Amino acid sequence: MTNPSDQAPFKRRSLFKAAGLGAAGAAGLPIIAACSDIKSNSGSTQDSKGFDFLPTHEDWPLPVQPDLVGEPPHHPSAFTSYPTPVQAITDLPSGKGTYEITIPCWGTPPAQDDPYFAKVAEAWGGTTVKIRQGDGMTYGDTAVQWVKANEYGDGIQLFNYMTGSFANFQETVVNSFYDLTEIVQGDIAERWPLLAALPSDSWGQAVWSKDPNDPETAGIYAIPMTYSGGQGNGILARTDLLEAEGLAMPTTVEELLEVSRAWTTNSRWAFVGLDWFIGQWFNLGGVDGWNWDPDQKKMINNIEKPEFTELMEFRRTLWDEGLIHPDAPTGTLDAAAMQEAGQVMFTQDNLVRWNDYNLKVKNGQAEGAVAPLPPLAAKGRTPIVPLSAGIGGWTFLNKDLSKEQVEEILDVANWCAAPYGTTEYQLLQYGVEGEHFELDASGNPTYIGAGPEVVQGPVNFKAFAQVDTFLTGDPDMVAARFEYNASIQQYVVEPPFQGVRIEAPAAAKAAGTTLWDQQSDIAYGRAELSSIPEMVETYFKNGGEEARKHYTDAYLALYGDE
Amino acid sequence: MATLQSTAPPEADEAPRPPVVRRKRTVAQRFRHDWPLLLLALPVVAHLMIFHYWPSLWNIIAFMDYSPYRPFWENPFVGFAWFERLFNDPYFTPALLNTLKFAALNLLCMFPLSVVLALAMNSIISLKVRSTFQSVVYLPHFFSWVLVVTVFVQVLGADGLVSNWIMDGGGERLNFTSNPDTFLFLVWLQWAWKDAGWGMIIFLAALASINPSLYEAAASDGAGRWRRMWHITLPGIRPVIILLLILQIGGILSVGFEQYQLQRQAVGYQATEVLDTYVYYQSIVGNQGESFGTAAGLFKGVIGLILILVANKIAHRLGEQGIYQKS
Repeated sequence: MTNPSDQAPFKRRSLFKAAGLGAAGAAGLPIIAACSDIKSNSGSTQDSKGFDFLPTHEDWPLPVQPDLVGEPPHHPSAFTSYPTPVQAITDLPSGKGTYEITIPCWGTPPAQDDPYFAKVAEAWGGTTVKIRQGDGMTYGDTAVQWVKANEYGDGIQLFNYMTGSFANFQETVVNSFYDLTEIVQGDIAERWPLLAALPSDSWGQAVWSKDPNDPETAGIYAIPMTYSGGQGNGILARTDLLEAEGLAMPTTVEELLEVSRAWTTNSRWAFVGLDWFIGQWFNLGGVDGWNWDPDQKKMINNIEKPEFTELMEFRRTLWDEGLIHPDAPTGTLDAAAMQEAGQVMFTQDNLVRWNDYNLKVKNGQAEGAVAPLPPLAAKGRTPIVPLSAGIGGWTFLNKDLSKEQVEEILDVANWCAAPYGTTEYQLLQYGVEGEHFELDASGNPTYIGAGPEVVQGPVNFKAFAQVDTFLTGDPDMVAARFEYNASIQQYVVEPPFQGVRIEAPAAAKAAGTTLWDQQSDIAYGRAELSSIPEMVETYFKNGGEEARKHYTDAYLALYGDE
Repeated sequence: MATLQSTAPPEADEAPRPPVVRRKRTVAQRFRHDWPLLLLALPVVAHLMIFHYWPSLWNIIAFMDYSPYRPFWENPFVGFAWFERLFNDPYFTPALLNTLKFAALNLLCMFPLSVVLALAMNSIISLKVRSTFQSVVYLPHFFSWVLVVTVFVQVLGADGLVSNWIMDGGGERLNFTSNPDTFLFLVWLQWAWKDAGWGMIIFLAALASINPSLYEAAASDGAGRWRRMWHITLPGIRPVIILLLILQIGGILSVGFEQYQLQRQAVGYQATEVLDTYVYYQSIVGNQGESFGTAAGLFKGVIGLILILVANKIAHRLGEQGIYQKS
């Protein structure tokens, strides 16, 4: 009789294991066999015009007229003096509810017990709206998780550019937020006269469809933010330092390069970062980099154009010649502070900083002066300034709210929509007189005390839409900005898909992320310019072609092949 | 009547006693006996269930075209489509290779460093010097990666302290914190500064458990410092070294996230992309979605499991206990 061996081919336990795995595998096979393809996140297109359910537009006559009349939206009118404000809403609603709205905050969040918030709540009828502040730097990415987990309170404000963080924003909107259509469609001027006075285009941009291919499923899912146009970003130069060095403000890309070379030494640099803004200097515009080519009858991406290579050569020259700060690739430098200290000549900025810098100088907190570069172009081309009018973002309300609660929040939004020249605007934008602001010698509001930290700086209810927007503030600054806006009008180009919201397929977004990294590699000397063709090919292979088809189909559906 | 009593030992061929049959206790009896232990274990079990086992079940979405806005059962199965997409992605393999490169560096250059530091610390006799040394090497572990990277940029950056010294002396500007070619060394330096001190704690504990009389006996037999270390110290801490090595091998594809993400802009994605940053940039920033990220995570988990089983088996073959043994 043989003894049982340890090396027996089949142990009882192993046999059970094998049987178990086999059973699991067999059970899994039908699942795998019944599999379909990946269909989600394949992009969407949403038009913002032609809906019959938008609020009926009714003008709200402005109480005061601007001193300088521009051509809105890209060239807004301006006030050079502060008008005596009038009350816009005399028939105040009585609100008793308490709500919480998530809002981005850059910098230190203000104390919620500041009298500003109580005064504002009292002024709009008593409704309590608490602000839940999220870090503005990471807001878009974290908002994705808040929305999915339904942990954003009763509403959330999202700016346009933040929607890119969502894998499928259309799906998120129609599944997570309140459909306002029934409440705001038609004539709403009696209860919400200021919301009714918002441009129809701005309400149209708050429309999403449950099924992107079926316009019948469309609805209004948000309160739109202010509708505006004009140039938001630019390159600010320290004009006083240029003058001190005997250098002229550059008017072409070539001149900019020369000025940069003349300014840069071992301890001061022309730039700290220069990337997302300067495509327009090389005639590269479009929507997400896509432009219609009438000859080829398809969308062409900027990276396919020879001007893109010029752009990358320019960026590489800045690096190779040391015109850009050597630690710029780390992304850890404070460009604004360095410009104030005179270490850097040009910064890539939001033009709001032009005004902020001017105020700092007037308050004795900084020296010198900054001004934006004029529109530039290379190789003798005519500059372009791609501008697109639209709303800045949305306030979405939680779908779990009741109709009455939504209406109460709309009461608040209506109050916040009061334009410049009203007491509502004054309280909202400047705070309480004597506590947050006072009128200076020229009669203009100037922030005092906690005003800058509590009222001026943070985003709050100010992000709700205003009926109209103007250039306001320091008269010198207003005049300079008005003049600048006027000077760029001749170069303005409007991108394709005006008023159409296009969401690219996920694969294209992922490929775009890598494409941007690869551009940085070339710009900072980590890859050669000769790698551009390979970079372009990789992009199209990994989602770019899918994106081209998506944008081309959208263009053809909207405008035909002309 | 008197009885004869024998003092002789029992006969060898005495029949064996029947085995003692313990009465099997019922579940209720066992529960009554062990309930305090069960109560103590309950929080840990609950934690494991909620934060480990329950999320693990959701790995199934790696095989689905998952959307959080659909009822779970309405998400269609797509088989291995996400894995196919993952393995076909041209950026996946470089990220995997980078991960293995950093893991190998960690294993070969960081792990021994912690052992060496522990041995060095153990040999310091002065308590004052020892506590100072201990503080100096421990402290950086509590710094965030943001701080560590910032310190390195400030000191070794192109406009940092060292670079400016070199330039003052007429030299060239240092390009160390934004150079992909030296990134591996930079990573090692950052690890060494931040974590080598922390890594030695367990080894120190193991060293403390070695019987001091062994050293005394060896010294009286004429063994020098090196011989004592070779024949007493290292064998004494060998089980711990093996245990940590296996655990480290199991987590070989998890080399961290922040350190690489924070330096990605400076050094470029090609040098810094590891699996965790890849998942973040493709799945969250690049919007490929939850299923794609889960597929990548599952891949990592499966590889980690295989490696830990293999390493454990090897440890058994070498006569070590490893992290677990079949009873």
